[in-house]
Amino acid sequence: MVEFLFYIFAGLMVLSAIVVVTARNPVHSVLWLIVAFLNASGVFMLAGAEFLALILAIVYVGAVAVLFLFVVMMLDVDFEQLRGNFKKNLPAGVALGILLMVELVMLSLSWRVVPAVTTASSSDTGVTNTEALGRVLYTDYIVAFQGAGLVLLVAMIGAIVLTLRKRDGVRKQNIGVQVGRKISETLEIRSVKSGEGIS
Amino acid sequence: MMLIPTTHYMILSAILFSIGIAGIFLNRRNIIVILMSIELVLLAVNVNFVAFSQAHHDLKGQVFTLFILTVAAAEAAIGLAILVIYFRARGNVNSQAAHELQG
Amino acid sequence: MEQLLQSYLPILVFLGVATVLAGVFIALSLLAGASRPDAEKLSPYECGFEAFSDARKKFDVRFYLVAILFIIFDLEVAFLFPWAISLGTIGEYGFWSMMGFLGVLTIGFIYEWNKGALEWE
Repeated sequence: MVEFLFYIFAGLMVLSAIVVVTARNPVHSVLWLIVAFLNASGVFMLAGAEFLALILAIVYVGAVAVLFLFVVMMLDVDFEQLRGNFKKNLPAGVALGILLMVELVMLSLSWRVVPAVTTASSSDTGVTNTEALGRVLYTDYIVAFQGAGLVLLVAMIGAIVLTLRKRDGVRKQNIGVQVGRKISETLEIRSVKSGEGIS
Repeated sequence: MMLIPTTHYMILSAILFSIGIAGIFLNRRNIIVILMSIELVLLAVNVNFVAFSQAHHDLKGQVFTLFILTVAAAEAAIGLAILVIYFRARGNVNSQAAHELQG
Repeated sequence: MEQLLQSYLPILVFLGVATVLAGVFIALSLLAGASRPDAEKLSPYECGFEAFSDARKKFDVRFYLVAILFIIFDLEVAFLFPWAISLGTIGEYGFWSMMGFLGVLTIGFIYEWNKGALEWE
């Protein structure tokens, strides 16, 4: 059953990846990328990486794919023209891909996996996958963890610096000024005599 | 229950990696599809990490997959932000026309 | 391992049912529905007149900024889950490790608040 599922997930993943790189319409590419991520999530689950499988489904399908979709819809581009000489590149591209694949598969087949080395971060601790991850992630890998925080900070600041721009002629509500004004600045009390008016 | 042999994960990863590289090669002009191909390549790397994590009964692979996911998401965010301002400046997303940056 | 996969069996069954059901609906509508297309029926319909422009329209880049900030905080929350579960065993060191991480991201949060990236003009 597990073997069967693995080959289904793997097959669908490869097929959808092929569609991602060959589709005419980038919107279709994004949608097939989502399918590829969902199948990868299944493969991760079969490999016992429960937490990563769910994070992949949440972060990638829920956020990164949506971001791609946003950009594809936001840019008003003639994608047909961008395809350029796709047809002309196709034989060379496929040949390159197959060559790379054959090399990597040969490497994989000649690889011998050393069975079970017991280390501090062993996954056979009898707790759930998420808890086992948490036990090593924040202590043994603290440098990489803080580095991840910095990467996220850079991404946040970078995105703001790159895309945010002030628009002229927009009137905004300034709550500080609004609340902080005093009666004496805005209101003046005069006694008006009848028949004279205010000069 | 039989576990899937690690070699099969590695072959899956190899195929995905090759598709990603070929995708970069085939869609040289369309930066959006290039970014998607990079996501595929990083996914292939993640599959390999998770497979070895299972084979060695060691969580290091999964920890690093989590970091790769973080970096990949940040890369997609910044890459697409650059794409958006590039589009605003040039009116297209053709990577072949980006030679003005050469100075 | 086996137990883990068995606990996800309902989701698999759910996926299978959803796929079969979707396939059946599409197949039935293809088989049973009458389809006699002509040029007028296939043309884009916009209240009786020809479509004015492409369906693809440029929209505000602000939506994109919101989506990016969502991704960043989504990942931050993803890092919080294992921490919350294992806090009892990783002790004070793990606690302050996460506080440092959150501190770095709070700097980013303050920056974006000051820049006005969260405001909608």
